[in-house]
Amino acid sequence: MGFWPAVWDLLTTSDHKKVGMIYLVTSFVAFGLSGLMAVAIRWQLAGPEQQFLVGDAYNQMLTMHGATMLFFFIIPAGLAGFGNFILPLMLGERDVALPRINAFAAWLFVFSAVLIYTSLFFGGAPDVGWTFYYPFSRTTGLGTDFFMMGLLLVGLSSLLGSANFAATVYNLRAKGMGLWKMPIFVWSIFATSMLSLFALAGITAASLTVLLSRKLGLTLFDPTIGGDPVLFQQFFWFYSHPAVYIMLLPYLGIAAEVASTFARKPVFGYRFMVFALVGIAVVGFLVWAHHMFTVGESLLFQLVFVFFTVLVAVPTGVKIFNLLGTLWGGQLDFKTPLLFVMGFMFNFLLGGITGVMLAVVPFDYQVQDSYFVVAHFHNVLMAGSGFLAFAGLYYWWPKITGRMYPEFWGRVHFWLFLVGYLITFMPQYVLGFLGMPRRYYTYPDGLYLWNELNFASTIGAIILALGGIAWLIAMVQSFRQNVKAPDNPWGGYTLEWATSSPPPSYNFAVQFPTVFKSERPLYDWEKEGLKPTPVDPATIHLPAPTVWPFMTAVGLLITGIGISLAPDMGNAAVGGVAGWGGWLAVGLVLFMYSLFQWALRKEYDHPVVHHTVTGKSNAWVGMAWFIVSEIALFGILIAGYLYLRLTGAAVPPEEHRPALWLALLNTFFLVASSFTVHYAHHDLRANKFSAFKFGLLISIILGAVFFLFQVYEFAVLFSHHSYQEQLWVAAFVIIVGLHGAHVLIGGTGLALAYAQGLAGKIDSHEQGTLEGSSMYWHLVDAVWLFIVTIFYIW
Amino acid sequence: MLQRSLGLIVLLLLGLTLAAEPGQAGGHTLNILDRDASAFNREVRGLLAWVMGFAALVFVVVTGALIYVTVKFRRTGKETSEPEQMHGNDRLEVAWTVIPTVIVLIIFGLTAQSMFKLDRPTPGAMVVEVRGWQFWWDFIYKDHGVRNSNELILPVGKPVRFEITGGDGANYDVIHSFRITSMVGTRDAIPGVVTTIEVTPEKVGTYYGQCVELCGASHANMRFRVKVVPQDEFDRWIEGAKAYQATTPTDPTLLLGEELYKQQCAACHALKGVAQGLPNNPDLTFFGNRTTVGAGVWPNVPEYLEPWIKNSPGMKPGVKMPAFPNLSDQDVKAIAAYLMRHKVEGLDFSKLEKF
Repeated sequence: MGFWPAVWDLLTTSDHKKVGMIYLVTSFVAFGLSGLMAVAIRWQLAGPEQQFLVGDAYNQMLTMHGATMLFFFIIPAGLAGFGNFILPLMLGERDVALPRINAFAAWLFVFSAVLIYTSLFFGGAPDVGWTFYYPFSRTTGLGTDFFMMGLLLVGLSSLLGSANFAATVYNLRAKGMGLWKMPIFVWSIFATSMLSLFALAGITAASLTVLLSRKLGLTLFDPTIGGDPVLFQQFFWFYSHPAVYIMLLPYLGIAAEVASTFARKPVFGYRFMVFALVGIAVVGFLVWAHHMFTVGESLLFQLVFVFFTVLVAVPTGVKIFNLLGTLWGGQLDFKTPLLFVMGFMFNFLLGGITGVMLAVVPFDYQVQDSYFVVAHFHNVLMAGSGFLAFAGLYYWWPKITGRMYPEFWGRVHFWLFLVGYLITFMPQYVLGFLGMPRRYYTYPDGLYLWNELNFASTIGAIILALGGIAWLIAMVQSFRQNVKAPDNPWGGYTLEWATSSPPPSYNFAVQFPTVFKSERPLYDWEKEGLKPTPVDPATIHLPAPTVWPFMTAVGLLITGIGISLAPDMGNAAVGGVAGWGGWLAVGLVLFMYSLFQWALRKEYDHPVVHHTVTGKSNAWVGMAWFIVSEIALFGILIAGYLYLRLTGAAVPPEEHRPALWLALLNTFFLVASSFTVHYAHHDLRANKFSAFKFGLLISIILGAVFFLFQVYEFAVLFSHHSYQEQLWVAAFVIIVGLHGAHVLIGGTGLALAYAQGLAGKIDSHEQGTLEGSSMYWHLVDAVWLFIVTIFYIW
Repeated sequence: MLQRSLGLIVLLLLGLTLAAEPGQAGGHTLNILDRDASAFNREVRGLLAWVMGFAALVFVVVTGALIYVTVKFRRTGKETSEPEQMHGNDRLEVAWTVIPTVIVLIIFGLTAQSMFKLDRPTPGAMVVEVRGWQFWWDFIYKDHGVRNSNELILPVGKPVRFEITGGDGANYDVIHSFRITSMVGTRDAIPGVVTTIEVTPEKVGTYYGQCVELCGASHANMRFRVKVVPQDEFDRWIEGAKAYQATTPTDPTLLLGEELYKQQCAACHALKGVAQGLPNNPDLTFFGNRTTVGAGVWPNVPEYLEPWIKNSPGMKPGVKMPAFPNLSDQDVKAIAAYLMRHKVEGLDFSKLEKF
């Protein structure tokens, strides 16, 4: 294939392997890029009072290093990268549940990174730290707007990707593969997707509210009107702590697969490994405030979080012990992937121990935001998850590229990383004891041991950079030597090794045996002499290529630039060519046009029959999981409102409060539209097309009436009150306004199904758009009932 | 000392046995576990001893197992059969679930006990209000009605209660975080919120303070000093400060300094008896007693003070004070001399040992 056809193929594909490649290439490039930023940071700190990166330049560098590593390397590489490439193969399937949504999510992911880096052309990168604490994040330049917008988009991408994984694991498994026979990696992706869906709302709420405060002065956190800046941190960490486990769990799955393969043994304590994964995912939700021990919350509040923080060490320990058990008694083949797993176990042990130390609150008071913390989280993220990302890369490299890699350079890479890591970060633990705070661009000469330890740390960073070069050599050499990889070079036990390297677009041209005795089908089948039966590839149909998911994501990118450039409170708008209104208009038009084109393009060119494990359609299961995240988003914002209301900070105005009668009238419209959607859906299944179209049209009109009444209500509200001066009004505008935005989104979904109906692209078999959007519409309805109770009645 | 031995162990590991002496170049020896400085530090040391004990146990067991596995179960290539296909062992699972649970529960119990102990308010503590501003600190002795910026003088052996906030309640600032490194733990300075922490300083000396929450371009230059002095010295300081009233100088240089101060500085910087200033700018009343300039960043000597007055943004990125290119060198010297004149007489805080 020539270059341009290859590019076109990439833009139009919905093949999970190519989508996985989009994630993998982007995230490993992001790793290299922000690794270089880390070296720049260490260069500045090599000695006291250096002038290489001063003040704001340093803050930009540390923000981009952190944000890129977290949002564009460590979260996506394992979950979306290896998850997309490997998970359907491991399940013995040809595709994921929602291939086009999946491709859209991948491009949205790439564009959110592009968006954040675009800020460099408009006055500089974000400089607020990846934690973007309010009110600091309200006071800074345009870079922060791009950052907030990028986070919103990458969050949406992550939710769609996670809903797709959840639906895939739920609905698509090789016949006979029960939940308890799935490889550990599949479990880890499943558990991580759950975590994303439940937790991501936290960062959406945090970045949305910061963006609103910057653009409109609309905020729950402003102390001048009784808001609480600490509430921002509750929102932020509600996501960002579980995110730590989103950054870890997929990699624990990789570790288990690698350990099992290279020890020639099954994983030790399979069920306990799964329990531990789920245990981490559940307890991980109850530890977020351990990032906030110094904000002065009550003793009881802190103690609850100490309890769960130390408790989460238990399932994490169980994972490590089971990995040891897997290796114990094996025939260990120390190839590069296993070396990285061994390095992980040692380093993660250190990170785990220092993590428990940080849960000891009085000690935490002492080292809050010090280099002890920096060393701790690099211990778990860089030498923990990061090492396992490389274990996964080397392990699956032959499968993905179809070539072997040079073992020598892999080993050099590992040892340079291990030694470099230890020399960089062990001194930082000591610096924590010696009182050096993080995020300092400079330090004075003469503080006991600071110069020496910082210098050592910089030497370590340079060794890490050399390791990065060894990694590049390993990859380049792999392509130059071009040693063809066999189907199963390591003797792996799971189904991704049962096809060629790299796999064909349809993954498998076989029918697998339906007997699954354990999570190692290849091992079991060989023992029992079971063999897959060949299938004629000509009978396999895959989703048709389409460019519209990509174009839809482009539309959102341009929209994102427009919103980011919109004038901040107190800052002048960026004019001229970069005028924000133009970007916004072009972006929105492109987005809507592409979305409708996408909806009007059928998923398959050939009629296909879908078999799903649950019997429910993929659209249904995917939307069901997506809705979890929407409930969480409203849940978090409403919890914030309840807190402000119950503490007496947010008080409804006595006069000119939004009218209950209008809300009740609107309730009637919305509830009625839920019924009409339901009957329209019913008519479609009964093949009554005109009734279906009529019902849908009525629903859309009812939604529009609701929306117009709400616009009227807001106009009346703003003529009497200012949300910049009254906290209750601000909360009302944020939450009810967000619901209004959901009415728009849901209405667009119904309009897509209606357009499909008009174009004859929908029938009782292919009706995913309607299934999804009608479920979403019911959600919008249910949330409204809740809002009426807490804003109009109470 | 733990930190020193830890530091040396790491340095030995790295093969960098540099001869680093404490207090070299007149710097501070920061040590969050300094047992002589406060009961808070001793409490943390006690807790850490327990945690490190368990940590050592876990570390030895797991690392030992890792090394054993690496050495013992390495593939030789001469294996004739596959290893035993062991799927797990329920007893082991229970053991390595229960034992760590017990350990973390013990750690939880000890932590809780400590937290209750440290949370108990000390009766009769002196209250100091701490305000964080971009990029400096303001201290207000609430019981005495005295304000001093960037340096805090405390009596040894007397409990003090810090009430910490971001801004002053009318003007809000971003979030900062207040830490006197070798003395007591951190509390955030949050606009609209008052957080508290208490400590009884036990050792006379100069303590190094820092902002530990990213707050802008000069986050790294937002430091302060705490001077812990004997009770009688503190009494002289606080009485002198309460009674302080600036007088008009006679020396012509100082007169020029006063005139320039009133023209250039007084709108923002308070100076008791001369200027009201604004609460969101440092108070310069006791400038002559200060040992540092620029919020704990440079020694308070003309070599740093004069360029600071003339061009502080050139020295400290993001600082809100403008540069004064219109001032001649002579003007600057006059202002510096005038500032240094304002102090409580008979006190020298520059000779204290540094922690």
